[in-house]
Amino acid sequence: MLGYVIRRILMLVPVFFAVSVVIFSMIHMLPGDPIENLLRVGSSPAQREALTAKYGLDRPLVEQYLLWMGNVLTGDLGTAIVQRRPVAQLVAQALPYSLTLGGLALCFSTVLGVVVGTIAASWRGSWLDQGLMGGVLFGSMLPNFWIGLLMILVFSVSLGWTPVSGARGWESLVLPVLTIGLGGTALVARVTRIAMIDTQGKDFVLLLHAKGVHPLTIQVRHVLRHALIPVVTILALRIGWILGGAVTVEVVFARPGLGSLLIKSLNQHDYPVVQASLLILAMAVMLGTLMGDLLQAAMDPRFRDSLT
Amino acid sequence: MKYNLSTLLATTAIGSCLALSAFAQEVTVVMAPNEVGATSYNPVASSMQPVGTYLIYDRLIAKDENLAYVPQLAESWVEADDGMAWTFTLKPGVTFHNGTPFAAQTVVDWLALYPGTENAYLFDAVERAEVVSELEVRFVMKRPDPNLLYNLSTVFASIPDPAAYAEAGEDYGVFDAVGTGPFRLESFEIGQQTVLVRNDDYAWGPGAATGKPAKIERLTLREIAESSTAFLELKTGGVDMLLNVPTDFVGEVEGASDLSVLQLAGQDLVYMPMNVTQAPFDDIKVREGVAFAINQQEILDAVFGGMGKAADGFLISSLPESKIADEFRISYNPERANKALEDAGWVMGTDGVRTKDGARLSVKLWTQSDSFFRRLSEVVQAQMKAVGVEAELVTFDSAAIRDQYKTGAHQVAVRSYLWDNADILEWFFSATRPFYPNVSMLDDPKAETLKDAAMTGAKNSAEREAAFVAYHEYINSQFPYAPIYEPVQIIGYNAERLVMPEVLHAPRFNTLGFLELDVKE
Repeated sequence: MLGYVIRRILMLVPVFFAVSVVIFSMIHMLPGDPIENLLRVGSSPAQREALTAKYGLDRPLVEQYLLWMGNVLTGDLGTAIVQRRPVAQLVAQALPYSLTLGGLALCFSTVLGVVVGTIAASWRGSWLDQGLMGGVLFGSMLPNFWIGLLMILVFSVSLGWTPVSGARGWESLVLPVLTIGLGGTALVARVTRIAMIDTQGKDFVLLLHAKGVHPLTIQVRHVLRHALIPVVTILALRIGWILGGAVTVEVVFARPGLGSLLIKSLNQHDYPVVQASLLILAMAVMLGTLMGDLLQAAMDPRFRDSLT
Repeated sequence: MKYNLSTLLATTAIGSCLALSAFAQEVTVVMAPNEVGATSYNPVASSMQPVGTYLIYDRLIAKDENLAYVPQLAESWVEADDGMAWTFTLKPGVTFHNGTPFAAQTVVDWLALYPGTENAYLFDAVERAEVVSELEVRFVMKRPDPNLLYNLSTVFASIPDPAAYAEAGEDYGVFDAVGTGPFRLESFEIGQQTVLVRNDDYAWGPGAATGKPAKIERLTLREIAESSTAFLELKTGGVDMLLNVPTDFVGEVEGASDLSVLQLAGQDLVYMPMNVTQAPFDDIKVREGVAFAINQQEILDAVFGGMGKAADGFLISSLPESKIADEFRISYNPERANKALEDAGWVMGTDGVRTKDGARLSVKLWTQSDSFFRRLSEVVQAQMKAVGVEAELVTFDSAAIRDQYKTGAHQVAVRSYLWDNADILEWFFSATRPFYPNVSMLDDPKAETLKDAAMTGAKNSAEREAAFVAYHEYINSQFPYAPIYEPVQIIGYNAERLVMPEVLHAPRFNTLGFLELDVKE
């Protein structure tokens, strides 16, 4: 098992460098540059050249990449060209908001998704199954932007229960968490339902029924436990989504976050921030995948056995 | 016991009144969306500064509602006859928020902060500043710069305490910002909000200011990029004022019993650049025809509900350089439009589209994805069709369209700018700035000569104004664009809570507006 863990971690190293090259190349291939956002009416072409040289954007791309990567490996994410702050500081300011919102939304969608999936699987084919699954599927199809505004109209404007926007206090988290969480519920519910239905047909479940174990005990203690393995894997894969996938919700509810920082920096061509944000998101996805694999190995004895 | 109960009730009542009074002194305002995301209150070394900078700091010069220069920290100023020196007399008794006195040496030290920053160009023409007396400072010039007063009045010429600036280094403006303005910075959460508290010592407001501190005690400036959310905050009482109400929401604000709008003259202009290097706009007659096909008044009435002005030149109408001769104004004239297109050889076809040598007069009209531009461009498209020009709308993301211009593939576009100085003409029509910002790709020797005369040839403001009028008129004679619309600034506020200034002697709602803003008892 230890060998497997080390092997998996080592595999991330070339992936990390490959991803960094892709990120760097893509950003520099986009038309435009950050200097455009620093120039205002009255500044001269000579000033443009001076600024380009000041930020090293006149150097060959390979040299710029090596410089950036060298700094990243020593923990220096650089300084934002347009936003004029250390990138690490900008990311550190945005990250807690993204982690809180994304983490709570993931918890909410997981709990609701597992409950809905379990109920749907337990009453497979019934009107309850079809109603619940149809409901969560419909909810996941609605755009977050629209759901967010609808929730504000209902809970903030009509009922006055929650603040319209902002990121101060737990009250301001309720609607954003619900908005994002409802969108993620459908996937968890579908995976839970399918995994449970699959597990319900296994021999050990039939044996438990034959032994006279209570159906509810079978469902919760045995079937659900097995069915959660793919759910856990999916959740681990969604860590990247937690960090950067809430852009529209951040905009609607006027919340800071990594997604908003990334979009704003992309619009400004603020290369150091975009590169760092994308690299962090890519690393989150890589670590999520690793975590998913390790959790699967830990939870599934068949997988563990296959390693030996 | 009775006595104690009365005392308790009285104390509670007084306490409640005090609490209400404290609450009454607080105002929460949503900043304009284009100011969202500023990362510091450092006016010297940043390319974007929000409204809070106008409140934390003062400038030497301010502008009134007619864009005339009025005193702020400088009581008066004198320009040498040859334009090679400016002497500013400073107001006495001014202090920074940390108690440091503001004097002539402060100005010298402040000016020394600019070299090497993005804002250094503001003082390119200044050789050095020197102290004449404790309250007199002289700018010795490398060359005359009639635009110096304008540069000194911009937000980027806000004056921080040079000592505090040097001490904070790169972090200046993030955790601390020390100015002489009517409010002190209490807290700044990037991307969220800025909390300002009143500077009780403030007695040196700009222009028509009363010389008293602000009426409100505490001001929270919130950052909300999404207009719908900002409007709902205003509607539910979460905030007291929106500094920018999109046209789409004006009806909603006016329809609410407790809300009201305040209109100020705008500082932006919507126009339609035509790429003079791309057919069919390489023919001046086609440009003339299309320019006179735009019905500005119809757009103003139909799209913007009559709010704003129909534009007939390239500069906002409050600028003196916008006062050009009538013959150079570009206003809807369908007869002239049709005649110009006929003269260019484009003959009206049976399907309402002009043709020439078998080719249809068909162009691509670039626009931005925002609803404002989409709606406006559809009307422009219809107006071009009315004179036989078929325009296909091509929509780009607002953040990406500037880079698309750099390909040079555009023919005609609908766009806007926000600027309150005539030098915007040089920015958008100088041959040294092709593709972007010179989207029209104008490269005309006579225009370049007039540009040089306007930008660097004038010794004083009267000469500069005359030179820019000539430059403006010549540009219009070449029809590299069609003027469309001059929007207004629309401020939405809670009329049951706020008392707005009766007349605002300032071009925007910032220093003077917040000095005079009051809360109803």
